Amino acid sequence: MTNTIVHDDRRAAASLASDRAQPSRAPMIIFYALLTIIVVMYSAPSIGVLLASLKSTAEIAEVGVWAMPRSFALTNYAEAWSGGNAGIYIRNSFFVTVPATVISISLGVLAGYTLSKLKFRGSNALFIFFVAGLFFPPQIALIPLFRLFNDLGLYDTLWSLIIIHVAFGIPICTLILKNFFAAVPTAIREAAIIDGANEWQILTKLMLPLSLPALAVLTTLQFTWIWNDFLWPVILIRSDEMRTVMVGLASLKGQYSVAYGVQSAMAVYASIPTLLVFVFFQRYFIRGLTFGSVKG
Amino acid sequence: MTRTTYRWAALFLVLPLAVYIAIVVFPLLSSFYYSLTDWNGFAIDYNFVGLENFEKMFSDRLFSNAIGNTLIWTVAAIIVPTGGGLALALVLHERGVFANLYKSLFYLPISLALAVIGQIWLWIYQPDWGLINASLRTIGLGDLTQAWLAKPQFALLAVILAWSWQQTALSMVIFLAGLTAIPQELIEAAHIDGANYFQRVRRVIVPLLAPASVVVIALAVINSLKSFDVLYVMTRGGPFHSSDNLAMFMYNESFQKYNMGYGSAIAVVLFLITLAVIIVYFRQSAQVERLYD
Repeated sequence: MTNTIVHDDRRAAASLASDRAQPSRAPMIIFYALLTIIVVMYSAPSIGVLLASLKSTAEIAEVGVWAMPRSFALTNYAEAWSGGNAGIYIRNSFFVTVPATVISISLGVLAGYTLSKLKFRGSNALFIFFVAGLFFPPQIALIPLFRLFNDLGLYDTLWSLIIIHVAFGIPICTLILKNFFAAVPTAIREAAIIDGANEWQILTKLMLPLSLPALAVLTTLQFTWIWNDFLWPVILIRSDEMRTVMVGLASLKGQYSVAYGVQSAMAVYASIPTLLVFVFFQRYFIRGLTFGSVKG
Repeated sequence: MTRTTYRWAALFLVLPLAVYIAIVVFPLLSSFYYSLTDWNGFAIDYNFVGLENFEKMFSDRLFSNAIGNTLIWTVAAIIVPTGGGLALALVLHERGVFANLYKSLFYLPISLALAVIGQIWLWIYQPDWGLINASLRTIGLGDLTQAWLAKPQFALLAVILAWSWQQTALSMVIFLAGLTAIPQELIEAAHIDGANYFQRVRRVIVPLLAPASVVVIALAVINSLKSFDVLYVMTRGGPFHSSDNLAMFMYNESFQKYNMGYGSAIAVVLFLITLAVIIVYFRQSAQVERLYD
């Protein structure tokens, strides 16, 4: 209770202070000039793609990508969907992303809970072992995994991608969930044990409902990273009908090599799912990105 | 801790641990083994060649070229996203008219895939109607137009700029979170003492952002070392290897030329460089933490 009051006081003081601590007029003008330039730099590329996706190849050749389209025809989108296989690529991306997101988080829940609430000798070392995987370039495992999936007969299947994203997601999921569970009062667990619950029941009935915010953070992060991944499908997928949408976009060839409108439409398709996740879960996404960078 | 609790711990850990070791740790270690062989990616047989692959690097001009480009990328990663991200965060932190709208705009590149970003920037650099050349012509500097990605002296920098577009946005998000954590009283105190805006930024805000800066720089450097997608989409390391970095060079040697032994050796070098960066990072952040506790 006292805590809240102090907090509110601080906030009030802070907002008062920042009202007065505005920069003076001259820097403000420089600020806004700079801001405008940067805003243009940040919006132009995306706007360009949208404009291009609404124009025919002939129109782009004539007036370029950046002019307003004459008609807002969706022919490029139809073409990318049917001729460019966008439908198949997107389906493949979902087949990889959804299970890999769910399973990697589930494994992270198991590891994170155990390493925070069922501590044993060496559990901290084990935690560091898990988290270390977060830092290394995937290139170091590329060739051995290429060989492994060849030997297992999983080369050129979506299974290889699912398995890889599950495994490479374990470090971040364990890190975030361990820290989350560590903040849950141990008394809750002890009370449940006295009531006769076993660890599995504690985890699924007690801890999981409590950890929804952490799960939301991880779902947005994992979904975005796995959906956007490019390296692994380049290495492990050969045939066109197994491509994920990112590789499909990069390998639009033949009749579409100069069909910038169709390529733009494909880029838009490829970005819609992560943009939707971002729009609806921005809070969690940002929290995940800034996790650990700020104390407190 | 009771016996049953131990059992539960073991039960819960077995699956994550098994998957992690089999798919991440074991392959990582096997790369060291493959780096000592001449495996071609397909044959069942291969020879143990000792350190031959590593010796080859010293005389391989493509390798030193890739190392040099990786270094350029790393230096750019320290400067551009950090400076740009800090500036953006400072501007957006002042609660201007459209600050929230702007924030969302800068968040956008973070959720875009680097493969998509590469595709977008291909058109920005497109020689005939790309945004850069079109703008140059509009303001009467048509002489400066270039086929940016086809010129060895520009290709790498052009790709790094496209990559920085996203990385800067990511840095901004982290700096913004850092700015929110700074007690306004400190800034206000400096204001009362007569510090102007730039003095406040230099003497108060930037030093207080040190923990966030360490994270921003480490993240940018680690991301730069493994950057591949944007390069693959934009230049594939060309023209004439002028934009090859270690990750691209490793890919070409391993999956285009099928020198998987040599490719593994390159991956090992990349790994060791990353390891060095991570050690520096943990030292720095430990130091910063001591200072700020």
